[in-house]
This record gives sequence, structure tokens and C-alpha cells, in this order.
Amino acid sequence: MRAALGSHFNSCPTFSKSMAASMALRRELCSLARIFIDISPLAPRALSACSAHRRFNIIRSHLPSTSSTSFHTATVFSSTLSSVTVTEEPDSLFQKVSVLVKGHDKAVLDSYEFFATMAAKELGISISKVYEPHKDTERLTLLKSIHIFKKHRVQYEMRTYYRCIELSHITGCTAQVYLEYIQRNLPEGVAMEVTKTTMEKIPDHILEPMWKDHPVDDKPSQ
Amino acid sequence: MASHTCKTFLSLGRINVPGLGLQKTASRAAYATGLPVNTSAGNKGLPDRSGRGSSVRKPKRDVGEPRTKKMPVDQDWTAVYPAATPFRQDSIPLPVRMGYPVKGGVPPEKKGNLELIKIPNFLHLTPAAIKKHCEALKPMCTEWPSTLDTDAKCDEHFPIKAESTDYVSAGPSVRNPSARIVHLKVKLSSLNLDEHARKKMLKLVGERYSKDTDILTITTDSCPLRQQNYDYAMYLLTVLYHESWKTEAWEAEKTVADMEEYSWEDSPSQRNILDVLVRMKVVGEGEGQDVREQLLGRKEVQEYKDSVTRLKNEGESEDAMLQYKEAVKKVFNL
Repeated sequence: MRAALGSHFNSCPTFSKSMAASMALRRELCSLARIFIDISPLAPRALSACSAHRRFNIIRSHLPSTSSTSFHTATVFSSTLSSVTVTEEPDSLFQKVSVLVKGHDKAVLDSYEFFATMAAKELGISISKVYEPHKDTERLTLLKSIHIFKKHRVQYEMRTYYRCIELSHITGCTAQVYLEYIQRNLPEGVAMEVTKTTMEKIPDHILEPMWKDHPVDDKPSQ
Repeated sequence: MASHTCKTFLSLGRINVPGLGLQKTASRAAYATGLPVNTSAGNKGLPDRSGRGSSVRKPKRDVGEPRTKKMPVDQDWTAVYPAATPFRQDSIPLPVRMGYPVKGGVPPEKKGNLELIKIPNFLHLTPAAIKKHCEALKPMCTEWPSTLDTDAKCDEHFPIKAESTDYVSAGPSVRNPSARIVHLKVKLSSLNLDEHARKKMLKLVGERYSKDTDILTITTDSCPLRQQNYDYAMYLLTVLYHESWKTEAWEAEKTVADMEEYSWEDSPSQRNILDVLVRMKVVGEGEGQDVREQLLGRKEVQEYKDSVTRLKNEGESEDAMLQYKEAVKKVFNL
């Protein structure tokens, strides 16, 4: 019935506004339903600690952005805490994790550095150093006019600012949690490179040479 | 009655189909009489808003006072900005100004300011919000083992280091082909190698070994995936290790030119110094091997040997040249 009315009065702006409002409401309801559906299959499934965090973050990003969102935070926090499981697989160890962020605006990188360092402190990750590599500038000199006037040019430059945060002695799980949190909140226009240095034991097959017990025949090398 | 309704149908134009039942026509007539203005507008196709538009359009809502006036001072900001959102000037109780200042004035205010909307804001990441998030993330983190606090201990127990890079950026694709590169770093002193194996390993490896830090670096990027590159690097390390322990038949043909370090025995330098010293000894002692051995046993000759070995192995430097000078003076009693 509503759709029929729409075809009659499509010129009327009133009707389109109310239609839009109701569509928005419907969208919100659908997203809310998605959140709750997402949470319920999580609990019975056996998840590793890190994937549980991934689900939590997906829920966070689906939240509709309205001012009256006080009800969201309560439901989300209570449900994810129960779904953290511990597996027997040995955790990897990172001697150094270096996070380099690149952007065109220094102020944005300053704020991001404050956020990343505070998050690391809260999670108990040791920060070895935070420094600012020199900026890179790419300059172009182009002709100002589309035709002739070779003597009149215009110059552009593109500046890339850097910020490096080096973390040391961090476990695989913690690194995954921290990096995912950082990357989810990466602002638009900022890129990131993460260099991880994993530590490992010498594998068993390199401890002793296999020729030690049985002597090698003198074969000519290929 | 029926004719009257038919006339109303015709005036409505394409809205109704002639020849419908009486019930339907009655209902349609009710709609038609209710809003005559709109039907005529529908007839024309495009609406004429100039005269009648204002009366037809729904009256605009009042803007009302901004939300900032209703915000209490001790409110929960994390509820106002829970996720990353553009700047909303009515929701932020701060007198922010941004932009190039008007001549002789101040930067423009936040009302209707595009600069504030363009720049990414961190209003959803206030310290209170970060603390809340970290509180929720804490259960998923694990502790670093407390015994591995220094780098030396880490190197002792976990000598192999695998380094790789991840890239996050906005673009048409999430993937970055440089992410597949793996660098494997091992300290040769931590591997079980004897002298011959170490020398052979250095020869096999060539450029990838750095003498100052005693670190062998294997860089692999030939496979498309990082896991494959890592497996290949471990395979290369295993093969190098086992091959260096093997002794091939042709290794017996190693010449002086292949030697890694300078050794003084049976070298031209030894022959020269012994010849000179033998010729310096005039009479009293006959020629022979025992004379040479006796000369070799002398302290000055040993010092000369040390200085020449140092010069050849470490390269020329002030200290090495001075040491050589002293040794030569002592040998010739100058």
C-alpha cells in the first residue's frame, strides 16, 4: 500500500523523507539483529584467544553511528569475555615489532602516536623507542598553461611524514591483539608497515650433521 | 452516480483504468476528492513549485538548540563518540576553530566548517576510551616469559630470527607483493660447526655473511607466499649445514690462494727472513735445516712472524706498522 502511494505522490518531498526515515530505522534494526546473531554462535564454538578478539572488533565497527548509543557498550563487553579459550599450541615470540606509520599530515600522526603508545602501555607491552624518521618530499614542476608559455610553470610537492614505534619482547597473541586494535583504528590517509622479528630455536635436524654417525662415501660432487 | 464518478476518473487522467468495478471506483473517488491539488500536479508531470510549492511542502523542522547545551559536564564521552565518525559540530562542546584566518581576524568557527570535517579526528579514542578498550582486550593477551629479559639470553635459547613485513594501506587491493619476503638471520657461533665446516660454510654463503656481527642472513622471495619462503629458507639453512660438514675429494686441492687467512709457515716471508738471517751469520755455523730451525726458535723471529701475520690478516693500520717496525729493528739489532 505504501509503495502504491509512492508512485502517485513521488513529487511530494514529505513522503520521501518519511520513507527515508523508516528505511534508516529498518537498517538500524537489521544491523542490531546482526550484532546479536553474531554473538550467539560465538559462545558454543571453541575459539582461540585471538579470533575471539577479531569477532569483538567486527561487532564494534558495525555499530550505527548515532549519539544515543549507550546501550551498545554494555551488551558487547559482557558477551565476548566468556568466549576466550586457551589452546595448547605454543605461542610465537617476537623479539622486535616495528610499526612504521606514514601519512601526509603530521598532526594526525602525532595523535596516532599518542594513541598507540597509550594502548601499548595499557596492555603492558614494552616500548623500546618511538622516533620520527625524516620526511620524504616528492616535487613536480609542471607547465602552468595547457598550451605554450613554457617559462611559466607551477610546482607541487607531496610530503610523506613517518613515525616509528618499536616494541620489544612481545608474544604472538599479544602482538596479534595489539596490532589488530591499532590497525582497526588507523585513520584514513595513513598507511602502516609492520616488521616482525620472530625468535625460534634451532630445529632438530640442524643440531647434528647426518654424516656424523655414518661416514660419507667419496662420491664426486654433481 | 456512475456517470459522475466516470467524469472524475477522466479528470484524474492516467491514474484510473476505465471499466473498473463500482467498489473500487468509489474508493478512488474518495482519494481524488481528498487532495485535488496533488492530482492536478500529477497530471502535468513536473510539479510547479513556484506559487503553490511552499504551501504543499511539509514545513521545515526547527533546528532547535544544539546538543552541546544539554550535555552534562560529567557525561560519558565514550558513549557520545563510540566509533570513528566525522566531526559533528553540534555534538562537541568545544569552541574549536580551524582554517585560514580572515584578514585581521581569527580562524573560522566550527559551525559549517569543512576543514574540521575533512581531517580525521580522534574523538573516539580519548584516554578513557582507550582504557576501556584495553580492559576488554587484556584477557586475550599473553605474558612474555620473565626469564628472557635480555637480548643475550634470547640469542642463546632462540638463535634463529625470521623477519618479515606486513603492509596496511588503502588502495584497490589489500595485498602487497613485498609481504612475501622473509629474512632468516642466524649467528654462526650458535650452530654446531667445526673449523672445516665453518670455513666451507663461509665459502658457500659468500655475500650473505657479515664478519662484524657473525650473522648469516638468508633472504628468500622466490615463492609467492610467505610460508613457502620461510620453509625454503629453513631448507636452505639445513642444506648448507649438512653440505659444510661433508668433505669432498676435490677439497684436497686447496691452494694458498683459496686460504681464508694468512699463515706464516711455508710462506715467502718466512723463506726470505731465514735466508737473510743465514747470510748474516758469517762463519762458525754450517748450512742446514737445524740452523733454520734454531733461527725460527728465536724470540725476534717469532715477533716478526706475529707482526707480518697481523699486517696481512687485519690490513694496514698505524699500530700494525709500528709493531712491524719494532720487530724488524729487533731482528736486525738496529
